[in-house]
Amino acid sequence: MGMKPRPTPRKTVPARAQYADPDLFLPLTEGERADALRLVTEEKKLATMVKVGRYRVVSIEPLALKPPHERAGYRCARVIIYDYAADANVAASVDLENSDVFHATTSKRQPMLSEAEEAAAIGTAVASDQVASLLALGDEVQGVMHYWSRQAVDFAFRRRTAAVLFGQSGGTPSLVAIVDMLDGEVTEVVPADRW
Amino acid sequence: MDNRIIDSNWQIHWRITESAGLAIYLADFHGRRVLWEGSLPFVLVDHQQREMEVEEPLETHGPFWAPLGRRSQVSDVRIQSFRGGFELAADFAAGPYRYTQMWRFHDDGRIAPWLTIHGGGLHDAHTYHPHWRFDFDLDGAMEDAVEHFEDGRWQRISEEGWFPFTGDADSGGGVWRQVDFGSGAAVTIRPNAWEDAEVFAIRFHQGEWGPYYPHSEVAAQPYPAAYVGDEPLDGMDVTLWYVGHVHFDAAFPFTAGPWIRVTGLTARS
Repeated sequence: MGMKPRPTPRKTVPARAQYADPDLFLPLTEGERADALRLVTEEKKLATMVKVGRYRVVSIEPLALKPPHERAGYRCARVIIYDYAADANVAASVDLENSDVFHATTSKRQPMLSEAEEAAAIGTAVASDQVASLLALGDEVQGVMHYWSRQAVDFAFRRRTAAVLFGQSGGTPSLVAIVDMLDGEVTEVVPADRW
Repeated sequence: MDNRIIDSNWQIHWRITESAGLAIYLADFHGRRVLWEGSLPFVLVDHQQREMEVEEPLETHGPFWAPLGRRSQVSDVRIQSFRGGFELAADFAAGPYRYTQMWRFHDDGRIAPWLTIHGGGLHDAHTYHPHWRFDFDLDGAMEDAVEHFEDGRWQRISEEGWFPFTGDADSGGGVWRQVDFGSGAAVTIRPNAWEDAEVFAIRFHQGEWGPYYPHSEVAAQPYPAAYVGDEPLDGMDVTLWYVGHVHFDAAFPFTAGPWIRVTGLTARS
Protein backbone atom coordinates (compact mmCIF):
# COMPACT_ATOMS: atom_id res chain seq x y z
CA MET A 1 0.00 0.00 0.00
CA GLY A 2 1.45 3.34 -1.02
CA MET A 3 1.76 6.28 1.30
CA LYS A 4 -0.94 8.88 0.88
CA PRO A 5 0.63 12.14 -0.27
CA ARG A 6 0.33 15.13 1.99
CA PRO A 7 -1.65 18.07 0.66
CA THR A 8 0.62 20.58 -1.00
CA PRO A 9 0.88 23.72 1.10
CA ARG A 10 -0.24 26.87 -0.65
CA LYS A 11 2.63 29.06 -1.75
CA THR A 12 1.04 32.18 -0.37
CA VAL A 13 -1.41 32.36 2.45
CA PRO A 14 -3.63 35.41 2.27
CA ALA A 15 -4.41 37.25 5.47
CA ARG A 16 -7.96 36.23 6.24
CA ALA A 17 -8.88 38.28 9.25
CA GLN A 18 -8.27 41.84 10.16
CA TYR A 19 -10.11 41.24 13.40
CA ALA A 20 -9.73 38.07 15.40
CA ASP A 21 -12.07 35.12 15.34
CA PRO A 22 -12.64 33.92 18.94
CA ASP A 23 -13.02 30.33 17.73
CA LEU A 24 -9.30 30.25 16.91
CA PHE A 25 -8.51 30.28 20.64
CA LEU A 26 -10.69 27.27 21.43
CA PRO A 27 -9.07 24.01 22.59
CA LEU A 28 -7.85 21.74 19.83
CA THR A 29 -9.84 18.62 19.11
CA GLU A 30 -8.18 15.22 19.43
CA GLY A 31 -7.86 15.10 15.68
CA GLU A 32 -6.36 18.57 15.48
CA ARG A 33 -3.77 17.65 18.09
CA ALA A 34 -2.90 14.48 16.21
CA ASP A 35 -2.71 16.42 12.96
CA ALA A 36 -0.44 19.06 14.48
CA LEU A 37 1.95 16.46 15.83
CA ARG A 38 2.01 14.52 12.54
CA LEU A 39 2.86 17.68 10.64
CA VAL A 40 5.70 18.47 13.02
CA THR A 41 7.13 14.95 12.95
CA GLU A 42 6.99 14.97 9.14
CA GLU A 43 8.81 18.27 8.95
CA LYS A 44 12.17 17.76 7.24
CA LYS A 45 14.01 20.14 9.55
CA LEU A 46 13.08 17.97 12.51
CA ALA A 47 13.81 14.63 10.89
CA THR A 48 16.82 13.90 13.08
CA MET A 49 14.79 14.34 16.23
CA VAL A 50 12.11 11.96 15.00
CA LYS A 51 14.60 9.39 13.71
CA VAL A 52 16.44 9.18 17.02
CA GLY A 53 13.11 9.19 18.83
CA ARG A 54 14.17 10.41 22.24
CA TYR A 55 11.68 13.21 22.61
CA ARG A 56 8.68 14.06 24.74
CA VAL A 57 5.72 16.12 23.61
CA VAL A 58 5.28 18.86 26.21
CA SER A 59 2.16 20.59 24.92
CA ILE A 60 -0.01 21.12 21.85
CA GLU A 61 -2.19 24.19 22.15
CA PRO A 62 -4.18 26.48 19.86
CA LEU A 63 -2.26 29.43 18.47
CA ALA A 64 -4.37 32.44 17.52
CA LEU A 65 -2.17 34.76 15.54
CA LYS A 66 -2.54 38.48 15.59
CA PRO A 67 -3.05 40.46 12.43
CA PRO A 68 -1.05 41.43 10.43
CA HIS A 69 0.58 37.99 10.59
CA GLU A 70 -0.17 36.18 7.33
CA ARG A 71 -1.67 33.24 9.21
CA ALA A 72 -4.03 35.39 11.24
CA GLY A 73 -7.53 34.03 10.83
CA TYR A 74 -6.32 30.44 10.27
CA ARG A 75 -6.63 27.54 12.68
CA CYS A 76 -3.08 27.11 13.99
CA ALA A 77 -1.38 25.15 16.76
CA ARG A 78 1.76 25.52 18.81
CA VAL A 79 3.67 22.31 19.48
CA ILE A 80 6.35 22.17 22.18
CA ILE A 81 8.66 19.16 22.30
CA TYR A 82 11.70 18.35 24.39
CA ASP A 83 14.34 16.53 22.38
CA TYR A 84 16.44 14.53 24.85
CA ALA A 85 18.95 13.45 22.21
CA ALA A 86 19.85 17.05 21.44
CA ASP A 87 19.01 18.30 24.94
CA ALA A 88 16.97 21.01 23.29
CA ASN A 89 13.54 22.60 23.22
CA VAL A 90 11.70 22.45 19.90
CA ALA A 91 8.87 24.92 19.34
CA ALA A 92 6.88 24.58 16.14
CA SER A 93 3.91 26.49 14.80
CA VAL A 94 1.53 24.65 12.52
CA ASP A 95 -1.20 25.86 10.18
CA LEU A 96 -3.86 23.16 10.37
CA GLU A 97 -5.84 24.53 7.43
CA ASN A 98 -2.88 24.67 5.07
CA SER A 99 -1.18 21.58 6.54
CA ASP A 100 2.23 23.08 7.01
CA VAL A 101 4.76 23.98 9.68
CA PHE A 102 5.40 27.68 9.16
CA HIS A 103 7.75 28.34 12.08
CA ALA A 104 10.12 26.07 14.01
CA THR A 105 12.92 26.90 16.41
CA THR A 106 15.33 24.88 18.49
CA SER A 107 16.82 26.37 21.62
CA LYS A 108 18.26 25.55 25.02
CA ARG A 109 15.30 27.08 26.82
CA GLN A 110 13.56 24.78 29.24
CA PRO A 111 9.85 24.25 28.69
CA MET A 112 7.68 22.84 31.43
CA LEU A 113 7.80 19.12 32.10
CA SER A 114 5.19 17.07 30.31
CA GLU A 115 2.88 14.85 32.32
CA ALA A 116 4.87 11.84 31.10
CA GLU A 117 8.10 13.43 32.35
CA GLU A 118 6.52 14.18 35.72
CA ALA A 119 5.54 10.51 35.97
CA ALA A 120 9.06 9.46 34.98
CA ALA A 121 10.55 11.75 37.64
CA ILE A 122 8.33 10.18 40.29
CA GLY A 123 9.34 6.72 39.12
CA THR A 124 13.03 7.59 39.37
CA ALA A 125 12.68 9.15 42.82
CA VAL A 126 10.59 6.31 44.24
CA ALA A 127 13.09 3.73 42.98
CA SER A 128 16.04 5.51 44.59
CA ASP A 129 17.59 3.73 47.59
CA GLN A 130 18.88 7.05 48.86
CA VAL A 131 15.37 8.50 48.89
CA ALA A 132 13.88 5.37 50.42
CA SER A 133 16.39 5.45 53.27
CA LEU A 134 15.28 8.94 54.27
CA LEU A 135 11.51 8.55 54.07
CA ALA A 136 9.43 8.21 57.22
CA LEU A 137 6.64 5.67 57.54
CA GLY A 138 3.63 6.99 55.58
CA ASP A 139 5.58 9.45 53.44
CA GLU A 140 4.32 9.52 49.88
CA VAL A 141 4.79 11.58 46.75
CA GLN A 142 3.10 14.96 47.18
CA GLY A 143 3.87 16.39 43.78
CA VAL A 144 6.45 17.22 41.15
CA MET A 145 7.79 20.74 40.81
CA HIS A 146 9.65 22.07 37.81
CA TYR A 147 13.05 23.19 38.96
CA TRP A 148 16.39 24.63 38.04
CA SER A 149 19.36 25.58 40.22
CA ARG A 150 21.05 28.96 40.31
CA GLN A 151 24.34 27.39 41.47
CA ALA A 152 26.71 26.63 38.60
CA VAL A 153 28.12 23.59 40.42
CA ASP A 154 24.76 21.82 40.49
CA PHE A 155 23.61 19.38 37.83
CA ALA A 156 20.29 21.21 37.90
CA PHE A 157 21.98 24.40 36.74
CA ARG A 158 22.35 23.18 33.18
CA ARG A 159 20.22 20.08 32.85
CA ARG A 160 16.53 19.32 32.63
CA THR A 161 15.45 18.67 36.18
CA ALA A 162 12.45 17.87 38.36
CA ALA A 163 11.97 18.16 42.12
CA VAL A 164 9.84 15.40 43.61
CA LEU A 165 8.30 16.28 46.96
CA PHE A 166 7.57 13.62 49.59
CA GLY A 167 5.62 13.89 52.83
CA GLN A 168 2.60 12.70 54.75
CA SER A 169 -0.72 13.04 52.95
CA GLY A 170 -1.98 16.58 53.46
CA GLY A 171 1.05 17.54 55.53
CA THR A 172 4.10 19.70 54.99
CA PRO A 173 6.67 18.08 52.67
CA SER A 174 9.49 16.28 54.43
CA LEU A 175 11.90 15.54 51.59
CA VAL A 176 12.89 16.94 48.21
CA ALA A 177 14.47 14.62 45.62
CA ILE A 178 16.11 16.29 42.64
CA VAL A 179 15.90 14.17 39.50
CA ASP A 180 18.12 14.64 36.46
CA MET A 181 15.72 13.95 33.61
CA LEU A 182 18.43 13.28 31.02
CA ASP A 183 20.03 10.38 32.87
CA GLY A 184 17.04 9.41 34.99
CA GLU A 185 18.98 9.71 38.24
CA VAL A 186 18.45 11.28 41.62
CA THR A 187 21.24 13.84 42.01
CA GLU A 188 20.37 15.43 45.33
CA VAL A 189 18.15 14.65 48.31
CA VAL A 190 17.40 17.42 50.78
CA PRO A 191 15.23 17.41 53.92
CA ALA A 192 12.46 19.89 53.13
CA ASP A 193 13.08 22.02 56.22
CA ARG A 194 16.65 22.62 55.02
CA TRP A 195 15.68 23.57 51.48
CA MET B 1 -18.47 25.47 24.26
CA ASP B 2 -19.94 28.75 25.47
CA ASN B 3 -16.96 30.66 26.72
CA ARG B 4 -18.14 34.15 25.85
CA ILE B 5 -19.57 36.48 28.47
CA ILE B 6 -21.42 39.67 27.62
CA ASP B 7 -22.16 41.63 30.77
CA SER B 8 -21.53 44.96 32.50
CA ASN B 9 -20.32 46.78 29.34
CA TRP B 10 -17.83 43.98 28.64
CA GLN B 11 -17.58 41.19 26.13
CA ILE B 12 -14.87 38.70 27.06
CA HIS B 13 -13.83 35.14 26.23
CA TRP B 14 -12.10 32.71 28.53
CA ARG B 15 -10.27 29.38 28.40
CA ILE B 16 -8.23 27.09 30.60
CA THR B 17 -4.73 26.81 29.19
CA GLU B 18 -2.15 24.05 29.61
CA SER B 19 0.19 26.13 31.75
CA ALA B 20 -1.00 29.75 32.01
CA GLY B 21 -4.06 29.31 34.15
CA LEU B 22 -7.42 30.81 33.32
CA ALA B 23 -6.77 33.08 30.35
CA ILE B 24 -8.98 35.90 29.08
CA TYR B 25 -8.90 36.80 25.41
CA LEU B 26 -10.53 39.24 23.04
CA ALA B 27 -11.93 41.43 25.79
CA ASP B 28 -13.88 44.49 24.62
CA PHE B 29 -15.23 47.33 26.73
CA HIS B 30 -18.13 49.31 25.24
CA GLY B 31 -17.57 47.32 22.06
CA ARG B 32 -13.95 48.36 21.64
CA ARG B 33 -10.93 46.12 22.02
CA VAL B 34 -8.96 46.35 25.27
CA LEU B 35 -7.17 43.04 25.61
CA TRP B 36 -5.95 40.55 23.03
CA GLU B 37 -5.01 38.09 25.74
CA GLY B 38 -4.24 38.12 29.45
CA SER B 39 -2.91 35.13 31.36
CA LEU B 40 -0.87 33.96 34.34
CA PRO B 41 2.04 32.16 32.66
CA PHE B 42 3.70 31.02 35.90
CA VAL B 43 4.13 31.44 39.63
CA LEU B 44 7.70 30.95 40.84
CA VAL B 45 8.34 29.99 44.45
CA ASP B 46 11.70 30.72 46.06
CA HIS B 47 12.70 29.33 49.43
CA GLN B 48 15.22 31.14 51.61
CA GLN B 49 17.64 29.51 54.01
CA ARG B 50 16.55 29.81 57.61
CA GLU B 51 19.96 29.02 59.04
CA MET B 52 23.11 29.72 57.09
CA GLU B 53 26.76 30.53 57.25
CA VAL B 54 27.89 34.10 56.55
CA GLU B 55 29.41 33.13 53.21
CA GLU B 56 26.34 31.26 52.00
CA PRO B 57 23.80 32.83 49.67
CA LEU B 58 20.30 33.38 51.06
CA GLU B 59 18.84 31.11 48.42
CA THR B 60 21.02 28.07 47.86
CA HIS B 61 18.45 26.42 45.64
CA GLY B 62 16.64 27.68 42.61
CA PRO B 63 12.95 28.34 42.19
CA PHE B 64 10.11 25.86 41.94
CA TRP B 65 7.21 26.23 39.61
CA ALA B 66 4.43 24.10 38.22
CA PRO B 67 2.07 24.77 35.35
CA LEU B 68 -1.29 26.14 36.42
CA GLY B 69 -3.60 24.66 33.86
CA ARG B 70 -5.62 21.67 32.93
CA ARG B 71 -3.47 19.20 34.86
CA SER B 72 -3.42 21.21 38.12
CA GLN B 73 -6.99 22.52 37.96
CA VAL B 74 -8.99 21.22 40.93
CA SER B 75 -12.30 23.02 40.44
CA ASP B 76 -14.64 24.03 37.68
CA VAL B 77 -14.45 27.60 36.45
CA ARG B 78 -16.95 29.53 38.56
CA ILE B 79 -18.71 32.44 36.87
CA GLN B 80 -20.65 34.74 39.16
CA SER B 81 -22.23 38.16 39.09
CA PHE B 82 -21.64 40.76 41.76
CA ARG B 83 -23.07 44.24 42.12
CA GLY B 84 -21.51 46.20 39.30
CA GLY B 85 -19.80 43.37 37.45
CA PHE B 86 -18.98 39.71 37.08
CA GLU B 87 -16.10 37.41 37.91
CA LEU B 88 -14.51 34.13 36.93
CA ALA B 89 -12.52 31.97 39.35
CA ALA B 90 -10.77 28.60 39.33
CA ASP B 91 -8.68 26.65 41.86
CA PHE B 92 -5.32 25.06 41.15
CA ALA B 93 -3.10 22.78 43.23
CA ALA B 94 0.53 21.85 42.61
CA GLY B 95 2.33 19.87 45.29
CA PRO B 96 1.83 21.72 48.59
CA TYR B 97 0.83 24.96 46.85
CA ARG B 98 -2.80 26.01 46.43
CA TYR B 99 -4.05 28.93 44.38
CA THR B 100 -7.34 30.53 43.36
CA GLN B 101 -7.05 32.52 40.19
CA MET B 102 -9.73 35.06 39.36
CA TRP B 103 -10.65 37.74 36.90
CA ARG B 104 -13.16 40.40 37.96
CA PHE B 105 -14.71 42.81 35.47
CA HIS B 106 -16.47 45.97 36.65
CA ASP B 107 -18.97 47.98 34.64
CA ASP B 108 -16.88 51.15 35.11
CA GLY B 109 -13.95 49.66 33.19
CA ARG B 110 -11.92 48.12 36.01
CA ILE B 111 -10.37 44.66 35.72
CA ALA B 112 -8.96 42.73 38.66
CA PRO B 113 -6.71 39.86 37.59
CA TRP B 114 -5.96 38.36 40.96
CA LEU B 115 -4.40 35.31 42.51
CA THR B 116 -5.24 34.16 46.00
CA ILE B 117 -2.28 32.26 47.41
CA HIS B 118 -3.33 29.86 50.14
CA GLY B 119 0.10 29.28 51.63
CA GLY B 120 1.89 26.00 52.05
CA GLY B 121 5.45 25.44 50.93
CA LEU B 122 8.34 23.49 52.35
CA HIS B 123 8.77 25.87 55.29
CA ASP B 124 7.82 29.42 56.22
CA ALA B 125 10.74 31.22 54.56
CA HIS B 126 9.56 31.41 51.00
CA THR B 127 8.36 33.94 48.47
CA TYR B 128 5.81 33.69 45.67
CA HIS B 129 6.38 35.48 42.38
CA PRO B 130 3.19 35.40 40.29
CA HIS B 131 3.75 36.56 36.69
CA TRP B 132 0.85 37.97 34.68
CA ARG B 133 1.19 38.74 30.99
CA PHE B 134 -1.09 41.33 29.40
CA ASP B 135 -1.29 41.92 25.69
CA PHE B 136 -3.40 45.07 25.66
CA ASP B 137 -4.66 46.15 22.26
CA LEU B 138 -6.33 49.42 23.11
CA ASP B 139 -8.64 50.09 20.20
CA GLY B 140 -6.21 48.06 18.06
CA ALA B 141 -2.68 46.75 18.47
CA MET B 142 -0.59 49.67 17.27
CA GLU B 143 -0.23 53.37 18.04
CA ASP B 144 0.24 52.74 21.74
CA ALA B 145 2.73 54.18 24.21
CA VAL B 146 3.71 53.03 27.70
CA GLU B 147 4.23 55.39 30.63
CA HIS B 148 5.59 55.03 34.16
CA PHE B 149 4.69 57.36 37.02
CA GLU B 150 8.00 58.58 38.45
CA ASP B 151 9.17 61.77 40.17
CA GLY B 152 5.60 62.97 40.53
CA ARG B 153 4.52 62.73 36.89
CA TRP B 154 3.81 60.34 34.03
CA GLN B 155 6.94 59.72 31.97
CA ARG B 156 7.09 58.07 28.58
CA ILE B 157 8.92 54.74 28.39
CA SER B 158 10.75 54.87 25.09
CA GLU B 159 12.52 51.50 25.22
CA GLU B 160 11.86 48.04 26.57
CA GLY B 161 12.77 47.59 30.20
CA TRP B 162 12.01 46.75 33.80
CA PHE B 163 10.05 49.31 35.80
CA PRO B 164 9.63 48.68 39.52
CA PHE B 165 7.09 50.30 41.79
CA THR B 166 9.12 52.78 43.82
CA GLY B 167 6.28 54.22 45.88
CA ASP B 168 5.39 56.96 43.41
CA ALA B 169 1.82 56.78 42.09
CA ASP B 170 -0.76 59.11 40.57
CA SER B 171 -3.81 60.26 42.54
CA GLY B 172 -5.63 57.05 41.67
CA GLY B 173 -2.71 54.81 42.67
CA GLY B 174 -1.69 54.18 39.05
CA VAL B 175 1.97 53.43 38.40
CA TRP B 176 2.09 52.19 34.81
CA ARG B 177 -0.20 52.87 31.88
CA GLN B 178 -0.59 52.08 28.22
CA VAL B 179 -2.04 54.91 26.14
CA ASP B 180 -3.58 54.69 22.68
CA PHE B 181 -2.60 57.71 20.55
CA GLY B 182 -5.61 57.40 18.27
CA SER B 183 -8.42 57.32 20.80
CA GLY B 184 -6.67 58.85 23.82
CA ALA B 185 -7.84 55.84 25.83
CA ALA B 186 -5.61 54.31 28.50
CA VAL B 187 -5.26 51.26 30.70
CA THR B 188 -3.73 52.15 34.04
CA ILE B 189 -2.22 49.57 36.37
CA ARG B 190 -2.30 50.04 40.12
CA PRO B 191 -0.15 47.58 42.07
CA ASN B 192 -1.07 45.86 45.27
CA ALA B 193 0.70 47.93 47.95
CA TRP B 194 2.10 44.86 49.70
CA GLU B 195 3.65 42.89 46.90
CA ASP B 196 6.62 44.96 45.78
CA ALA B 197 5.46 44.79 42.17
CA GLU B 198 7.27 45.51 38.92
CA VAL B 199 6.36 45.69 35.26
CA PHE B 200 8.36 44.54 32.25
CA ALA B 201 7.43 46.37 29.05
CA ILE B 202 8.38 44.30 26.01
CA ARG B 203 7.79 44.80 22.32
CA PHE B 204 5.70 42.00 20.86
CA HIS B 205 7.42 40.00 18.13
CA GLN B 206 5.77 37.49 15.86
CA GLY B 207 7.34 34.16 16.74
CA GLU B 208 7.52 34.88 20.48
CA TRP B 209 4.32 33.00 21.05
CA GLY B 210 3.29 31.09 24.13
CA PRO B 211 3.33 29.00 26.12
CA TYR B 212 5.68 31.08 28.26
CA TYR B 213 8.05 29.47 30.73
CA PRO B 214 10.37 31.06 33.28
CA HIS B 215 13.53 29.11 32.53
CA SER B 216 15.66 30.59 29.77
CA GLU B 217 19.02 29.28 28.55
CA VAL B 218 21.72 28.11 30.99
CA ALA B 219 23.03 31.00 33.12
CA ALA B 220 20.76 33.48 31.35
CA GLN B 221 18.19 35.68 33.05
CA PRO B 222 14.83 34.01 33.51
CA TYR B 223 11.81 35.24 31.60
CA PRO B 224 10.43 37.84 31.24
CA ALA B 225 13.75 39.60 31.94
CA ALA B 226 15.37 37.55 29.15
CA TYR B 227 13.01 39.18 26.63
CA VAL B 228 14.10 42.70 27.52
CA GLY B 229 16.31 44.39 24.96
CA ASP B 230 16.60 47.99 23.91
CA GLU B 231 13.93 48.10 21.26
CA PRO B 232 11.75 51.20 20.98
CA LEU B 233 8.18 50.92 22.21
CA ASP B 234 6.44 54.03 20.90
CA GLY B 235 3.76 53.10 18.40
CA MET B 236 4.63 49.40 18.64
CA ASP B 237 2.62 46.42 19.81
CA VAL B 238 3.68 46.05 23.44
CA THR B 239 3.18 43.34 26.05
CA LEU B 240 3.28 44.12 29.76
CA TRP B 241 4.34 41.59 32.37
CA TYR B 242 3.22 42.37 35.90
CA VAL B 243 5.23 40.52 38.56
CA GLY B 244 4.33 40.46 42.23
CA HIS B 245 6.58 39.34 45.09
CA VAL B 246 4.74 37.93 48.05
CA HIS B 247 6.70 36.73 51.03
CA PHE B 248 5.13 34.01 53.11
CA ASP B 249 4.67 35.32 56.61
CA ALA B 250 2.16 32.77 57.88
CA ALA B 251 -0.65 35.29 57.33
CA PHE B 252 -2.19 33.62 54.35
CA PRO B 253 -4.36 33.56 52.26
CA PHE B 254 -3.03 36.58 50.42
CA THR B 255 -4.57 37.96 47.24
CA ALA B 256 -1.97 39.27 44.83
CA GLY B 257 -2.41 41.13 41.57
CA PRO B 258 -3.10 44.59 40.26
CA TRP B 259 -6.11 46.75 39.62
CA ILE B 260 -6.41 47.70 35.98
CA ARG B 261 -8.62 50.58 34.89
CA VAL B 262 -9.70 51.36 31.35
CA THR B 263 -10.46 55.02 30.73
CA GLY B 264 -11.45 57.07 27.70
CA LEU B 265 -12.96 54.20 25.78
CA THR B 266 -16.60 54.98 25.10
CA ALA B 267 -19.04 53.27 22.79
CA ARG B 268 -18.87 54.38 19.18
CA SER B 269 -22.01 56.26 18.19
